[in-house]
Amino acid sequence: MTQATEVLFPTSADEAVAQFGDGSGVTVVGGGTIVMPEITYGRLAPTKALVLSRAGLDTLDVSGATVTLGAGLPVARLAELAQDVKALAQCALNVADYEIRLQATVGGNLCAGEGQDAPRGDLQGPLLALDAQARSVGADGASTEPLEEFLGRRAGRLLLDVTFEKPAASAFAAIDYAHTHEYTVLAVSGVRTASGETRLAATGLAGFGTRLRSAEAAASDPERAGAAAVADVSLGDDALASAWYRERTLPVLVRRVLGELEESA
Amino acid sequence: MKAVGARLPRYDGIEHVTGRTTYVDDVRVPGTLWAKALRSPLHSAMITSFDASKAEAMPGVHAVITHADVPLLEYGHLSALGIPADEPLLAKDEVRYKGQPIAVVAAEDEETAMAAVEAIDIELDERTPLFDIRRAFDSDAPKVHQWGNWYTHFEGEMDRRQIRKGSVEDAFDKADTIVQGVYRPAAIEHVPLETQVALVVPEASGRLTIYSCTQALYFSMGVVAAHLQVPLNKLKVVGGTVGGGFGGKVDTASETMCALLAQKSGRPVKWRWTREEEFLCSSTRAPWHMEIADAVTKDGWILGRKMLTLHDSGAYGRFSPYGLTKHSFHHTGAYTIPNLEFDGYVVFTNRVPTTAMRGFGVTSVSFATETHMSRIADLLGLDPYEVRLKNANRIGDTSPNRIVYTDPSTVSVVKALAGGMDVELQPDYAAMTRDPREGDLLPEHLVGQMANPEDH
Amino acid sequence: MNLTVNGRTHDVESGPLATLLDVLREELGVTSPKAGCEQGGCGACTVIVDGEPQRACLTPVGALDGASVTTVEGLGAPESLSPLQQAFTHHYAAQCGFCTSGMMIAADAYLKRGGTDDREAIQEALAGHVCRCTGYVKIIDAVAAVARGDSFDLTVTAASAGMTNLGGDV
Repeated sequence: MTQATEVLFPTSADEAVAQFGDGSGVTVVGGGTIVMPEITYGRLAPTKALVLSRAGLDTLDVSGATVTLGAGLPVARLAELAQDVKALAQCALNVADYEIRLQATVGGNLCAGEGQDAPRGDLQGPLLALDAQARSVGADGASTEPLEEFLGRRAGRLLLDVTFEKPAASAFAAIDYAHTHEYTVLAVSGVRTASGETRLAATGLAGFGTRLRSAEAAASDPERAGAAAVADVSLGDDALASAWYRERTLPVLVRRVLGELEESA
Repeated sequence: MKAVGARLPRYDGIEHVTGRTTYVDDVRVPGTLWAKALRSPLHSAMITSFDASKAEAMPGVHAVITHADVPLLEYGHLSALGIPADEPLLAKDEVRYKGQPIAVVAAEDEETAMAAVEAIDIELDERTPLFDIRRAFDSDAPKVHQWGNWYTHFEGEMDRRQIRKGSVEDAFDKADTIVQGVYRPAAIEHVPLETQVALVVPEASGRLTIYSCTQALYFSMGVVAAHLQVPLNKLKVVGGTVGGGFGGKVDTASETMCALLAQKSGRPVKWRWTREEEFLCSSTRAPWHMEIADAVTKDGWILGRKMLTLHDSGAYGRFSPYGLTKHSFHHTGAYTIPNLEFDGYVVFTNRVPTTAMRGFGVTSVSFATETHMSRIADLLGLDPYEVRLKNANRIGDTSPNRIVYTDPSTVSVVKALAGGMDVELQPDYAAMTRDPREGDLLPEHLVGQMANPEDH
Repeated sequence: MNLTVNGRTHDVESGPLATLLDVLREELGVTSPKAGCEQGGCGACTVIVDGEPQRACLTPVGALDGASVTTVEGLGAPESLSPLQQAFTHHYAAQCGFCTSGMMIAADAYLKRGGTDDREAIQEALAGHVCRCTGYVKIIDAVAAVARGDSFDLTVTAASAGMTNLGGDV
């Protein structure tokens, strides 16, 4: 199995793009935290593995108000944005543990398929609230699109980076399943843009992260917004919590995030 | 005594901190093959067809074992305690729990072993499983076990552990109130950091050297010898540091299966369980269902107890009758209750068979009894320490199965607990000791249960 | 590809997608990192890679060409224990010992990046490591002791220890 696998280690973004090609038959390995156990347990037998550890995609670029995160950026480094994008840093530091955060990548976190037993992709929450733009390549060439759209078609694409504008304020609230390293049951991220727009997003849902547009429309009334948020999401039972539980706690997290955004006004 | 209370270094302490402790998976023997198991994907099914020929023919595969390779297929680990054998080492015509091993493969490497398992053709006819122990007694419940849905081989072919003492009817008649509770602790998985692992090396002499993670080396030696039908002197078992067991490594079967593979292939064979196997199919602490009804007086005396226990044994008996027996002896906890009616059943379900875990059989009843004592105090508006101290075991009291207490520690423990919680006891309670009951501490209802009632 | 482990450089023969854990244990005979879960969740496989603690079970070895790996064997030996090894011994921070390698690697990294004896900070640093035997308290005690600069007397034996009075009435 692993003998038959072609393993590539591109040493630049261009090389990674060229080697990815149209993505068919390619298994992308970021930090390895999601893919390696699947290989170890015999559930994944890649024919061609593209390992991005040396592709130079681990960049964190701040140009004025614009922030660009390379797909290969370790999750731990988002702590550097604690001043400017509090929600993103808090979310990142809430992922797993010290060692995993050093090895897991932004790209892996965003592109991982939906978890069967527990939600994945915590970073989708704050990045959706930030209305990040995702730059990727794949079968139909290169594209830059809202992260929300990218998530719907991420299988078969190679994510290169995500870009967003620094917000005026941001907030993050999560319910964790108490453990040595905590699993996130449900989380809400909120952003108030420089122009005064409020955006909300949640993770820990059935499927990937979602914008809470009904809640956003009622953002001036946190009670109403919390109740409205339930209409925006599809909830499921999993190993961490039930849909019933998430339905009751989602409004609470929405209210907390809106409250925190209000306080930093 | 120079050792008690002294700071003694662990004999393996230096090894642990320098990474030199040798666990079974750290033993290196040239030529070792990797084992992987075909496990039942269903909770309950008939095996309607089975063909391992493709696996056996695969390059790199050295042996495949099934039930047909086991000289004695069913061996009761506790047959010396009167618990008959009921569990095949490898499934024969049916599977009774998800994860039950059906066949084991030995191959050159882990990947080949996994591929060989995938190449075994098997057809299963699914049956309705039973998971709720309360339903096991329904006439239309799925039938789980050849003995029926509960164990029927206690002494005298009793189908339950039964304890009767005094007269529970009288107690319930005389009570001011009856306090009831239902207690249902869930299964607990041991999660040792070291997963189950065994390495068996066939020697030129015909003996087998067995490296095992078992907590019970001589016990496991007997199990392997019985299944293989070889004398004990054919086996050399090397125990060593166990990476955590907590009771979950007393019913290991991996060394038996590796022994069969080592014999069949002529090569050393190692089987290291994955963490997923540990979670899905290693034995757990049992779930329990306990119902307690206590006849109590308004000043907190417990006159009598009726109790029903259902113990979830999973698909096979293993050690459950033994665990339930211990449970039954302790069903009054640290307290003396003179009139008793206890019935306990070992119930079969299509869960993974359950096994020992720290305090096997007794932690469940301790949890239930203590919670019930607090419930009594709460419902009667009494102090929870006083209710305990009053009913506490004392010298000369007897246990449910009439063992005379000569050294009970309930009183000193409850008083130490109060001290630790900064609770000041009323003077007459603070003065209590474990001395034999007399005066106010010996009401009429407790006389009959004393070791020497005629002296009172 | 080359891999330096505890100061010795090896030419790795395993394929690039082999895990570092398998390379260390099976190919190079370095067995202190353990296969506790092979999913990154238990911490028992953790080793130091270029100065930072990392899960060996999650690392494709091909990503480590030229890297430097340190395992517990590289932290000290029986005749010359590091302060952390002394602390773990003195404080009984290991029972079965299976989690110990990973715990010590994480603790070593924590101390090297200036970790203090703050118990919450130690807990946060060790959050990726599961122990089923000790209940964690003595592990944290040991790490805090090293952070404080405690020294340890490992020469206590049964013969040299006097009897102690356990106190209380029994």
